[in-house]
This record gives sequence, C-alpha cells and structure tokens, in this order.
Amino acid sequence: MARNILISALLVAALLAAAEPRIEPPAIMLAGIGATQRVIVSSGVPSNACRLSSAHPEIVSVQDATLHATGIGVATVSADCDGMKLTAEVRVAAVNVPLEISFARDVISLLTTKGCNSSACHGSPAGQSGFKLSLYGSDPAADYQTIVAGHKGRRVNLAAPDESLLLRKPSMRLPHGGGQLMTAQADEYQMLVQWLRQGAKETSGGPRIQSIEIYPREQILARPGQRQSLVVIGRLSDGTTRDMTAAVRYSVDDEGVVSAVTNAAVTAKARGLTVVMARGMGKTATAQFIVPDRAADANTAIPPANNFIDREVFSKLSQVKLSPFPPATDAAFIRRVYLDLIGILPTPGETRAFLDDHHTSKRARLIDHLLDRPEYVTHWLMKFEDWFRNSQYYSQGRTNGSYKRWLAELIRTDRPFDEAAREMITAVGDTTTHPAGNFWHPAIDFMLKTFDVSKATPTVTRLFLGQRIECAECHNHPLENLTQDDFYGMAAFLARMKVKHGYAQYRRVWYNTREGEVLHPSTKQPVAPKFLAGAAPDIPEDQDRRTVLADWITRAQRLQFARATVNRVWAEYFGAGIVEPSDDFRSTNMATHPELLDALAREFIQSGFRFKPIHRLILNSEVYRLGSRAPGRPGGVDPLERLLLARYEPRKLPAEVLLDAIVQVTGVPQEFSNYPAGTSPKELVASIGATYFLTTFGVPRRDIMEPRSQAPSLSQALHLMNSDAIRDKIEKPGNVLGQLLEQTLDDRRVLDELYERAYSRPATDAQWELMRGFLAAEKEAGRTRRRAFENVLWAILNSKEFQLNQ
Amino acid sequence: MTNRRDFLRIGGTAFGGVTLPEILRASIGRTDISCIIFFQEGGACQHDGFDPKPGAPIEIRGGFGTVPTTVPGVHFGELLPRCAQSFKKFSVIRSLYSKEAIHEKAKQYVFSGARPNNAFKHPVFGSVVAKELGPKNGLPPFVCIPRKDICADAGLLGPAYDPFITGDPAKKTFTVQDLTLPLGVTLEESAGRARLLSALDEEIRQTEKSKVVEGMDSFYQKAFDLVSSAAARKAFNLGEEPDALRDAYGRSTAGQGALLARRLIESGVRLATIFHGGYDTHVENDKKNKTLYPVFDQAFATLLDDLEQRGLLATTLVLAIGEFGRTPHINHSGGRDHWPGVFSIAAAGAGIPGGQIIGSSDAQGGAPKDRPISVEDIGATLYKKLGIDYHKEYRTNGRPVKINSDGTPIRELSA
Repeated sequence: MARNILISALLVAALLAAAEPRIEPPAIMLAGIGATQRVIVSSGVPSNACRLSSAHPEIVSVQDATLHATGIGVATVSADCDGMKLTAEVRVAAVNVPLEISFARDVISLLTTKGCNSSACHGSPAGQSGFKLSLYGSDPAADYQTIVAGHKGRRVNLAAPDESLLLRKPSMRLPHGGGQLMTAQADEYQMLVQWLRQGAKETSGGPRIQSIEIYPREQILARPGQRQSLVVIGRLSDGTTRDMTAAVRYSVDDEGVVSAVTNAAVTAKARGLTVVMARGMGKTATAQFIVPDRAADANTAIPPANNFIDREVFSKLSQVKLSPFPPATDAAFIRRVYLDLIGILPTPGETRAFLDDHHTSKRARLIDHLLDRPEYVTHWLMKFEDWFRNSQYYSQGRTNGSYKRWLAELIRTDRPFDEAAREMITAVGDTTTHPAGNFWHPAIDFMLKTFDVSKATPTVTRLFLGQRIECAECHNHPLENLTQDDFYGMAAFLARMKVKHGYAQYRRVWYNTREGEVLHPSTKQPVAPKFLAGAAPDIPEDQDRRTVLADWITRAQRLQFARATVNRVWAEYFGAGIVEPSDDFRSTNMATHPELLDALAREFIQSGFRFKPIHRLILNSEVYRLGSRAPGRPGGVDPLERLLLARYEPRKLPAEVLLDAIVQVTGVPQEFSNYPAGTSPKELVASIGATYFLTTFGVPRRDIMEPRSQAPSLSQALHLMNSDAIRDKIEKPGNVLGQLLEQTLDDRRVLDELYERAYSRPATDAQWELMRGFLAAEKEAGRTRRRAFENVLWAILNSKEFQLNQ
Repeated sequence: MTNRRDFLRIGGTAFGGVTLPEILRASIGRTDISCIIFFQEGGACQHDGFDPKPGAPIEIRGGFGTVPTTVPGVHFGELLPRCAQSFKKFSVIRSLYSKEAIHEKAKQYVFSGARPNNAFKHPVFGSVVAKELGPKNGLPPFVCIPRKDICADAGLLGPAYDPFITGDPAKKTFTVQDLTLPLGVTLEESAGRARLLSALDEEIRQTEKSKVVEGMDSFYQKAFDLVSSAAARKAFNLGEEPDALRDAYGRSTAGQGALLARRLIESGVRLATIFHGGYDTHVENDKKNKTLYPVFDQAFATLLDDLEQRGLLATTLVLAIGEFGRTPHINHSGGRDHWPGVFSIAAAGAGIPGGQIIGSSDAQGGAPKDRPISVEDIGATLYKKLGIDYHKEYRTNGRPVKINSDGTPIRELSA
C-alpha cells in the first residue's frame, strides 16, 4: 500500500513535469564496438534513484551511467526508478570511423570558444605578439595559412604535435600573454593533437557533426545544493551519434542560479531560472534550469485553465510552487484590455456597463466587440508601423502615408500574414501605388540613393524569422553557428533589386535586374543565394530571387515564421516575448515556454496566418487576466514571477496611447497642424517633430531596428509636471472640469468622475478622505474650487496608476 | 538608485539660498573634468578655418586670405582673427580623418567615437559620461543646446541617458523647456500638488518594485529636485550674466549657447554640446562662411577667455569639431561638398597645451600628410581626460560593445 502511494506520488510528480520521464539522450546509435555514451534519466526524476540495466549485454553493457557498445545490433536498456520502469532502444552501428578534425569547423570553433580570436586578443586588427587571426574566425582560409604556414611553419609540428607553438603557448609551456588556456590533458588540447596527427587538414572527409543536444533540456532543481549531471550527444551525418559530454564548452547564463559546470554537472544555488549552454564543433545546445527553492507549498493556488496557454503557464508555475497573482478585478481587466487591444481608456459608461454585465462570457464578448472596433486597427497599426518600419525619415512624409494605409488595411481585414509578408519581400513598382515596397525604404542609403543590401538583409531575417544576423556581416556570430557565408548567402537573394528615385525623391520605384551579385568581403567573389544555415537553391536565371526567398520564409520555414510573429504579439501583451528579446531567436536564447510558443505558432498557421484568433486566445486566457499586485506581495521582486508569468507585468503606456489618454481624461483634444481636430497621434503620418510630447515619450524613428523604448526619463517627468501643453489641458475652461463643475455635483461625485475616466474605478473611501483634506487645505489657501480640482487633475495625470497599464 | 536619490536630496535642499560660487567650492572636486563640445554642424571647411592653404590654386584655397596667429609661422583663415589671437589657449589637429560622408552617420561617428553599424546604436560621449559619472548637484549630466538631435542620443543605453535639451538661449524669452513651474503655479501650491501626487502613488510605491516603476519614481524625484533647486535655476538663468559679457559672446544661438554651456559646466553639468548649424555649404561656400565663421570666432574665443578668467579652463575640456571637412575643390555652385578625408579640430583646456599644431594635411587639404588622427583617438582622449576607462565594455544582448574601439589618447594633448 505504502509502496503504491509512493509510486503514484512519483507519477504525479512526473505528470506535473509536463514531459514523460525517459532515458536521455534518445535515439542513440553508437559508432562501432568500443563506443560509449553517458545517459541520464530526466524530467523530474533524480537519476541516482534509478538503476540502469541492459537486456542485451552482448550488444550494450552498462556501467554506472555509461553505455558501452560490445556488439553490433539493437539492445534494450532499462532504468528502474523506485518501481517505475523506463526503457530505451540503443543501436550499435557496424562502423568505426574516427571523427576527422576539420580546421574550418573544429579548430576555428575552438579558437573562438577560447577567446583566441576575440578583438581583445589575436583577433584585434593588429593581432597580438605577431600572431594575427581574423575576428571570431571570419576568414578561416587566412587563419589556416597563418597557423599552418605562417611564422615559418613553426606554429605546427606534424611529426611531434606536442612541440607545436600552437600547443606550447596556450598550455603555457612557453610564456603566453593570454595565460594558460588548456592543460595537456584537456579535451581541447587532445583535439588539436588529433588534428595535427591527421595531417592538419583544412577540411575533412568522413561524417560530420550535424547538431548537438544537451540533456536534460528542462530541469527543475528543487533546492540549493541539488546536483544534476549533464550529457551532450552529437548527431552525425551518417546517422551515428557521439558522446560529446566532455568535448564541449559549457557556460551558465546566470551563475547565481546554478553553479558553473564542473565535471559535466551543475549544482543549484538560488531561486531563479537560467540557461546552460554547450558549445562544441561549431554547434550549440541549451538547457533550462529552474530552482524554485521553496518548501513544498500546499497552498500553491492554481486557477482553473481556460485554454492551452493557461495549461502551459500554470503547469510550470505549479512545478516551481509559485502561486499566480489573484485575477484582476473586472474594473482592472476592462482598463487593461482596452489599453492593450484598442489603445484607449474605456469611458466611465463602458466600464459601468461591463461591471453590471453578469454573463459568464462577458469577457469573451468584450474581446470580440473590441476586435471589431476601428480603434483596434489604429492601435495595432502603430505596432505594425514599428515592426515593419514605416519611417518618416525615408519618405519625406509622402509615401509612408500609402504604406500606412496598406498596413491598416492588412490589419482591418485580418489578411493572411504569409501573403502580406510575401508581398513585402517581393515588392516591385512605384511605392505610392505599390505601398508594400516601402518596407525596403530604410535600407536605402539616404545620400547615395542606392539600395544597401547589407542593411536590408538582417531586416528580413529579423522581422520575419526573429533571427538577428547583423553580427555575421562583419564576423562569424560568436554565439551562434552563423558565418559570413550565411550572411552574404542571404544577401545574395536581394542582389538584383534596385531602386529608382523619381522627382525630388518623393517617389521611389523598386525593380529587379537580370544581373548583380553580392561579393564576399574576404574572397571578393560573387556569393550564390543560400538559405540561412541551409541549402543553396537552384534558381533559374529568369526567376526573381526574392520570390524564392519569400517561399522559403513563408513555406519551408513557416513554423519559425509563425513563432517569430506570434512571439511579437505575445510581447505586446506581456511586456516580454516567450523568447526575449522577441526578435532574437537562437539556440543560445531559450524560450521560457517552448511548447506554448510552438502551440501558438501552430494555431497561427492553422488559422491561415490571421492575427485575430491569436488575440482571442491570449486575451481569453486566465494568464492574461492575472492581477498585477496582491496584498502583502510586492511585485517585481521575485525573478521567476516575471519569467514564468505569475502576474500581469505593469508597464508604461506608449507615447501615443498616453497622449490619447490625457485627451480622454481632460476632454481637450490635441491639436496637430494640418490635421482635423480629434486626430489621434497614431493617425499622424510623421509623428516625430509633431509634438515635443511624442518625441519625449519615445515614438521610435523606425528606420533602425531598435525596439520602441519604454524607459522612463527625466524629460518625461518634467513635461507632465510643468509643460504648457499639459497646463493648457488642465486649465482650459470647457474641459472636463468645466463640464463637471457646471453640474451641481458634490465634490465626491466630481472626484469619482475623474477617477473613473483616468483609472476606470471610483475613489476608495480612504482616497476620498485624503482628497477631502486636500480640497479643504486648498480652500484655506484661498484657491477656488475649480483651481483646487485643477490641482487634483494635475496629480492624477502625473500619478503612476494613470501612466501605467497594470 | 538609493545613492542617486540621497545625492539628489542633498542637491535639492542643502543648496537653497547659497550663492553659486559657494556651491562650486563645496562640491566640485579638483579632479572633476567637464567637457564642452562646440559642434560645427554640417561639416566645417578646413580651408577657411584652421588649415588654410594659401599656396594652393584659387579653386582649392578659396576666396579667403589668412591671418597670423600669436604663434610665429602659424596662420588661420582670415575669418578667425579672435581665435588667432587666442591660439596660446588651444591646440589644433589638422590631420583628423573620418570614414563617413553622410551627415547622419558622420555625426553619430564624431559624437560617439565609434563607427555606426547596422547592428546597434552606439551611445554618444555625453550618454557614456552620464552613465559612468552620473549627475552632479542634481543637474542633468548631459545637455544639448539648443535642441535634440537624432544622432546625439544614448542608443543602446536607453533614454535615461539621453541629453537634456535647453531650447534656444538666444531667444529673448528663453527658459528651459519644462524646467520652471507652470505659469501661475506658486512654489507653495506646487508643494501641495507634490504631496497629493505622493499620496496617490503611495500604494504602488509600496506594492510595486519593478524596475520601470522605480525608474519613474526616481525621475519624478529628480524632476522635483531640479525644479526646486536653486543651483539649477541659477545655472539656466542667463539673465544673471552681465550684458557686456553676453554681448562679448555674441547674441547668436551659438554665442549664448556657449555662455550657457559655461554656466552649466560651472554648476555641475558634465558634458554640454552646442549645436552651431549652417556649415553644410554645398552652394556659395564663401558667402555663407563670411557670416558663419565670425559667429564661431567670437563665441569660441570668448568661451576660452571666459573659462580661463574663471579658472575653469584647467578643468574643462573644450572641443570644436564638425562631422567632416569639405572638398578641397570648389564645385560649380561655388560650394564645397562633404569630405571626410581630412578635417581640423580645435582642443583646449583640461591640461591641453596651447599653441600647438598637431599633424598636417597635404597641399590640397585633402588627406592627412603626417600624424593621422582617427575619430576613435578623439574618443579615447575625451574619455581619458574625463577619467573614464576607455577600454570599458558594455553588453547588448550578449554582445560586448566597447565604449571606444582601438583609439589611442592623443599624446600631444596630455598635460
């Protein structure tokens, strides 16, 4: 009986861990007799509680946690974990090809992980102590010559590898300014020895490592001191696998959460979430570790889930024993969803109607209703203009108007986004009549009036795939397996697009030519189009290369295209993406909720790449409805609370939204020259320079790929406090105060009206007491009732509750 | 945060009713070096300025003669007589070169000492100074006069380190935007408002500890301190300067801007940039420079005189620089176009010896002839003078960003 209870407890723990416990890595294929592979049992089960055994010791034998190939064939390996039995099939292939070390791939990657070719060492333009390498290995051919032939060949000694300068320096058998980077016993050292023994080849034959994987991929370490072993497996082009546990370089993102990796294991240190990264052979892999560091909390209150978003988020919260914040009140919810979805405040009437509605589906109905309002289009247009860079700097306020209308129509009709993306990527024609081409404008060199391919290339990958490749323009990406070949391979898809400038630059026409190539910066040779980290497609001469690129992005890469897009939307609602920064997907920047992101991406694809279904899913989730504060529980202290979405993270209103909100509360429209009264700042064609307010609160330039800044600043505080612009709105005779004070309302009613406009709720009794005291003091000081309320209005506009969405 | 707030509290209260010189004696340490950048926007012509070529053909030397300086054998363009007289106070580099020929990029380059790239936006000098050294006396550390420039901001450091903008000090009605209480609001009334606001924010202050909210709170603190600070009001009040001195600087935006910069530096601002526009002389170079250079000449020379008389020159680095030079050949519109090949910079104060010509350009004024100096070198020099480690790195998304790449402090400019 007791045993059964234990087993079910284990099963519950396993279920909570979202994934089935299993023997990892999966799909092992040992390369010949004598090959070995370390394994672990992952997902919530401590490995030391399991006993490993093999049903076929003549093929695979087990010692401790290592598998040994003893014969050719398939073996069943099992783990007995306190009564729970797990099994895995392990293959042994009849091959025994030693991995050949390649200079370009392996040695360069070693030089990079050791920092040898960084700008502080031999990668600096002048080199270091007579030994100069290309920065981060951007020029492998030159580096090969430098190492193998340079310095009169003394850097390598094929007959006696240990005597090579290449090994004596970093092992400090000769003085080395960079210190000792490896011992003669180190795997890196041995790899270099092997490379030299194999003849110091520039490239190698034989199977290649295609990817590496680290296990466990996601692990919770209950409390400090708990230790977890790591295993890394490499997958080769011939289908076999290699144990790379000791052949990679590990790094821990936040060593405050888990210790640095020693002997292929980490130890939990303190509450938090971090990522452990393994790099080797030019490949990377990451694992996520969460340390809840909390005694089992029987009171972890998890609200019922409404959809898969809730199930994913709440399951992770329950794993770390972190209670989500209690749901927001209806009043807080309506203010939040108005601001997030349509970018304006609800009117007091709208708020009251929502509060008085007692239907269980009232939130879903409100969301549907808001999605049909024209302000939904205007509000998301602002975000689309940020993302797809409708920059006034590049069209002198002319064609960005047509681009703006084009984007607005896309949002209004909820046009399939794959289609729209395709139209942008392949745009040709006059940008006033074919507005999608405005997408490319920020890549025009403003003075030279030419199209700058190197500016455009990273834009495409970043906007549509969430991948940043700017680094690889100048050097191999230090964190990612991206090289200059990848950058210029992608750039080659854009090599044949050209732009013509019409009269006074007001019109631009995009067109394709039959020729034009991108030259590789080091070889100066034309580069053929090649997909990012992928193949080089055959493109007929008469085909537009951009259509091939658009196909690849929206079809072959559609899951990543969808992930990148839904992640942007998610970041708008939660202040951070599931991958954050929201446009920086890479293996070394792990998603907090990878399954959730994939599920959302699949929904996006299934709904035909339409945004409204995604809005509905997110906004109807219980996660979106969580409160932002709770009594006795200050928000923003616990790092896990933000990362694992235990609450709605409060944030500042964007510039345009704040200005609209000030207009709504004060009842005084903002005037913009050449626009009719009542124009929202979101409708301006050129918002920079339209008012000091917008620039100060951070409307973005949209010509460079920097996200809109939402950081507070001194100038913002001063402007709301002291500016004539705000004073005019507070003091204007016919404003909200004029209207309210004209009616015979008592002070509390006037105050509640202001509160409901600004905060979507009436004043509490305590706040009313406070205000009563203030109004009395104002009277004492000889100020009129109107003036006293002007001061109240000033305080409301400057208050955090007003300036935040929470 | 706590430190800054404590500091501001001191800045806001302790200085009430004390005179400016007293504040200065009390608070500015001996080693504190400030910086004024006199920015010749559009790209000043080296030939008409500090590097005349009297021996070159007319289409290169242009329409102006030269004037001898107080250093025998050294001449400046004839439009700079005051600078020529004051040459003992500053040095000129004639072999500075840039690699950017477009205003926007070239400005970012000379404002930051880092070449613009497509991956991220480098913070400009003032933003780095603001981050590294922080505010002094409750004044914003980085100020631009008179306006904001999209090429002069904090880039990856974020708007907290953007410059504070003054508005045009040459206007009769000059007040700094938003620095004074709204018209008709008394200090007493404002104090009541502030108390009310503080009460409204109390609950959030207690229950919300996220960075963005604490950041808002600290900027409001700072804003209240700035508005109520006697030092700040004094610093921005050009009316306190005698008319004779205001006239000496010139009543132009550049002249009054230079005077304002001096007052700001005196009060605790760490880096002030004066934008003096109009140097982009693609058409009618001579006609434009005839009115432009005298404004610069007067303002820059007076600034150096004034700083010296007040004993501030030793602690203030002063630079006069444009984003690039201008083409050696005069074009068919009588103008000169963009030329990053070589240009001049004037540097004074903070221990820089006067009367030196560093480097030289070729006979046409088109390329450095000897001792080429890079924009990065200017950056390294500036950081070193201000006591900032110019090897320092920031990080943006895991990528290291050096505040200065591979520049070397210019040895001739060291004390």
